[in-house]
Amino acid sequence: MTGALDVTPQELGLLITVKTAEQEGVETVGAHLAMVCAARVVQVDPIAGSHNRKAVVETGRYGRRTVVCGAPNCRAGIVTAYIPAGCVLDGRTIEKAVIAGVESDGMLASGAELGLNRDAAGILELDVEECKPDSIIEIDNKSLTHRPDLWGHHGMAREVAAILERPLRDPVDLSVLPQGPGSIAVSIADFDLCPRYSALTLENVTVAPSPLWLQYRLTSVGLNPINNIVDVTNYVMAEIGQPMHAFDAATLAGETIHVRRAAAGEKMQGLDEQHYTLDEQALVIADANGPVAIAGVIGGLSTGVTQTTQRIVLESANFQAASIRKTSSRLKLRTDASMRFEKSLDPRNTRRGLARALVLLEQVSPGIRVVGGVSEATRELSAPAPIELRLDWLRRKLGCDVAGEKVRGILHALEFQVEETAPEVFRVTPPSWRATKDISIKDDLAEEVGRMMGYSSIEPRAPLAPVVPPPVNPERAFLQKVREVCTGQGFTEVYNYSFVNPQQAGELALAAEDHVRVLNPISSDQGLLRTSLLPGIVKNIRDNSRHLENFRLFEIGFEIHKQAEGLPTEALHLAAAVYSKAGDGVAGLMEAKRLAECLLYGAGVRQTEARPYEHTVRAYAVLYRDEVVGRVSELHPKLVSAGRAAVLYLDLERVREVSIVEGTGSAAGRGSAGGVGASIAAATGASAGTSTAAWVGEKYKPLPRYPSSSFDLSVIAGERVTVAEVEQRMTSLAGEFLQGIEFVRQYVGAPLAEGQKSLSFRVTVCSMDRTLSAEEIASVRARIIGGLEQAGFELRI
Amino acid sequence: MTDQVLEALQTSALARIQASASLADLEAVRVEVLGRKGTLAGISKEMGKLAPEEKARIGKLLNTAKQSLEQALERRTAQFEDAALDSRLASEWLDLTVPAPGIRPGSLHPVTLVQKEIEDLFVSMGFAVLSGPEVETEYNNFDALNIPQDHPARDMQDTFWLEGGNLLRTHTSPVQVRGMHRLGPPLRMIAPGRVFRNEEVDPSHEHTFYQLEGMMVDREVSVAHLIYFMKTLLKGIFKRDVAVRLRPGYFPFVEPGFELDIHCLLCDGAGCPVCKQSGWLELLPCGLVHPSVLRMGGIDPEEWNGFAFGLGLTRLAMMRYAIDDIRLLQGGDLRFLSQFGKASN
Repeated sequence: MTGALDVTPQELGLLITVKTAEQEGVETVGAHLAMVCAARVVQVDPIAGSHNRKAVVETGRYGRRTVVCGAPNCRAGIVTAYIPAGCVLDGRTIEKAVIAGVESDGMLASGAELGLNRDAAGILELDVEECKPDSIIEIDNKSLTHRPDLWGHHGMAREVAAILERPLRDPVDLSVLPQGPGSIAVSIADFDLCPRYSALTLENVTVAPSPLWLQYRLTSVGLNPINNIVDVTNYVMAEIGQPMHAFDAATLAGETIHVRRAAAGEKMQGLDEQHYTLDEQALVIADANGPVAIAGVIGGLSTGVTQTTQRIVLESANFQAASIRKTSSRLKLRTDASMRFEKSLDPRNTRRGLARALVLLEQVSPGIRVVGGVSEATRELSAPAPIELRLDWLRRKLGCDVAGEKVRGILHALEFQVEETAPEVFRVTPPSWRATKDISIKDDLAEEVGRMMGYSSIEPRAPLAPVVPPPVNPERAFLQKVREVCTGQGFTEVYNYSFVNPQQAGELALAAEDHVRVLNPISSDQGLLRTSLLPGIVKNIRDNSRHLENFRLFEIGFEIHKQAEGLPTEALHLAAAVYSKAGDGVAGLMEAKRLAECLLYGAGVRQTEARPYEHTVRAYAVLYRDEVVGRVSELHPKLVSAGRAAVLYLDLERVREVSIVEGTGSAAGRGSAGGVGASIAAATGASAGTSTAAWVGEKYKPLPRYPSSSFDLSVIAGERVTVAEVEQRMTSLAGEFLQGIEFVRQYVGAPLAEGQKSLSFRVTVCSMDRTLSAEEIASVRARIIGGLEQAGFELRI
Repeated sequence: MTDQVLEALQTSALARIQASASLADLEAVRVEVLGRKGTLAGISKEMGKLAPEEKARIGKLLNTAKQSLEQALERRTAQFEDAALDSRLASEWLDLTVPAPGIRPGSLHPVTLVQKEIEDLFVSMGFAVLSGPEVETEYNNFDALNIPQDHPARDMQDTFWLEGGNLLRTHTSPVQVRGMHRLGPPLRMIAPGRVFRNEEVDPSHEHTFYQLEGMMVDREVSVAHLIYFMKTLLKGIFKRDVAVRLRPGYFPFVEPGFELDIHCLLCDGAGCPVCKQSGWLELLPCGLVHPSVLRMGGIDPEEWNGFAFGLGLTRLAMMRYAIDDIRLLQGGDLRFLSQFGKASN
């Protein structure tokens, strides 16, 4: 394809990539053809005991050679293709070989073996020598979704002409189309679905294999040669991007071609021999009897061209992209035609298709004659709207100086009309094939100029932007802190999917109907959006416990909760788990609690009622500034059967709300300014620009100037009495001299009775203005003991 | 006569001090020579019989001898104490490469690490970090981004559709729209987050992955600015100059739209299997914000211009840590996840 251009295929491929669309590679086709030559078969002799025959050929270039050939059509007198030894064919090197006792020096080849067509029935019988090596530049078709004009070679040739600044030759000559009324009527029910339908009737058709050059070209671009008529329609599609179809005129009923929606349940058998049942969404081409083609997708089998066809109706039409795409995806049938139509083709191209096909048909089916003029129904095609392009705007947009003449030259090469309406102002009209959806505003023109100039020619320039601190994102700072604390405490981050299945939800006593449902899940296993991070965490625990004895992990993610209307709410949560194969689970729960304390200074826990997935008596609410912000619990053995898993589950939205109250200085918690919670409060305060009240903290507690004294107390309590409870009681009994109470140890066993435990505390007292006397200290002690005894506690003194 | 005795005594005592092998030896010498009943004390006692001048002279000699011996004893004692300290210290050699007891630090997810690094880079360049919901409206995900009604991206096969007509966002681009409304022009913002595509999972495809959307809107924003900014950004990410190539790319929410390729990091553009011998890696779709998108964000495109880009965080994390199976990222396997960026780094 690049033979006439002074650029290598590789260079051209690169230019197309940076200026037009992504190229996926350059493939040389027919490299072997350079060694292949025509040969006249001089003599053919049978070989005894073999179906092969010995042929002597005159090759000209390689002199006279003897080969062994099995082809049925190998006979003296024909001109065929000779492949010498040493030639590489499809990766296989042809070598001299002895076949059936006769030495074969090279081989005679079929069209299929040469890659010229798909004919493997016999060796090639040459009429012309027009098959030469060439290059194919493959384009990524995903990079062409917005460019219907590039779905044909002529469109790409226009780009190449513009890139290389060479003239473009149009293969189409509209003047060949006959004048006068068409021989068949066309009726379009809805011009939105089919803006234009053009057809031409031809008679005296000879259906035969296409000439070799045509077969070779189609084969090179991946299309199957079928017969001369069908091959011409495919060739025109590949050349100018206009899909076409040929009907056998004799099989069409009535005098009118109808373009209409299918009736529900209407059936048609396609050229691929599949039976299609249509609905009212599909557009069909129909004759008096019913559908003869699914518009823009596939032709019908019963009205297609066959060996006996003598008269054809050639269709060249335009259809609405969305409609074709829907039909094609509903039928799960993507064809070369539908792929093009769904890109919004230019309705003006239909007549060009007919004109080009007519010239080609006259070549490949000698004697063919048109009957009447072009049959056509069309809506009035509006002219593409002109766009005003100010050159100063264009230069500012591209950020480089580009001369008006350069802009005009680029746009002309791409066949835009350019008119200078005022100095430095162009009135640009896009060509019809770019106006279907690609080009409509001046920004689109900026792209045309920019890409053809080459983006590499634009000098990078630093943007001039004011230096201002970016708005603070308190959530980001908050989550960073959370992550730091978690990893510091030994937890490793995991990411789980947002999808869960009903069984996973069920295990955690979450009702499936409370979840947002995915209408088209990858598998039924992933049909719900998670309302909790726990299903993922439970899976992580089970998976990892197969390899590890102990581990800690965490995830930060959104719970997604269904709302009666509008978007669901998304609530950020932290789930952290500690797993241990051995042990009684106490250490894990303590770690989970400690993580909560590290995250939220001053946080505490309170026994709470267990949920169905939790250990029946090991479930605790996490309290932060007197609000419940999450839970610590051990997972029920039904969920984690081997080993123990403790989980901290925090509602980070709640943490934030609670923290912000503190940050604005209203509800001062008990000596607890700090932790991750406080950091978000501070950040939020800053961004909201609140007063300094939030910034200045609580006053510190002065240090005692007189010595303090301590005494220990051991309290005997029931099994389920908590340390916090006893401590709280002691604090309220101690009075003004109390400096602090520290939990020392817990003891269970003899001499204590079953179901009892001893809790030891160290109480420290002092006064701010004197050294306490022994009597004063004793009286504090007596008051605590008395109060505890009154409350039913026994003391070990 | 006494002179010689004294001198001999001093010499022999000094020699014994020098030769002593322990503090106990020294103590024995001290008691014997300097002790209350020691040799020097004996000599001192006998001095009473001497004439006064002789007494004074011998007394002086005696004192000098005593002082010199005491000094020698002190020096020698210090030597022994130093040696004892040295030997104690030597015995306390510790292998601190033994892991510290207690909990080992955990690790952050590789995507978190890459995301943080990139967020920090943008914040340093004056960008706000925004977030948006994972469940989006069809309007925000498509319409407001100029993606036409019949665009293939809206097909069932690419998007996860939810009951109620919503969807799981297919890109972080909807945050552009939210950001324009929230911040107003001029603005600089990024939006990292989780996105979804309805795709079968295999070693190189995931239905759940991570993107980072970026946008800058100002009075003067051109292609030249975009190229400069992208080069600066990539230098920040890869910590070195990276050759870039801009080529046309089609995304409905930008015009002109680009695919930005970088020189393959493995072969530096020479061609290798990773870049499929092309020397280039497709990294970053970008472009000037489409005027319709600006309008949808409440910004007048005649007054303001902008650029936008999308970075694949998952892709960058995989490049950064040479991860060859994307499924590992959502797999929750701690043997994999614990290999990255211990604690805060």
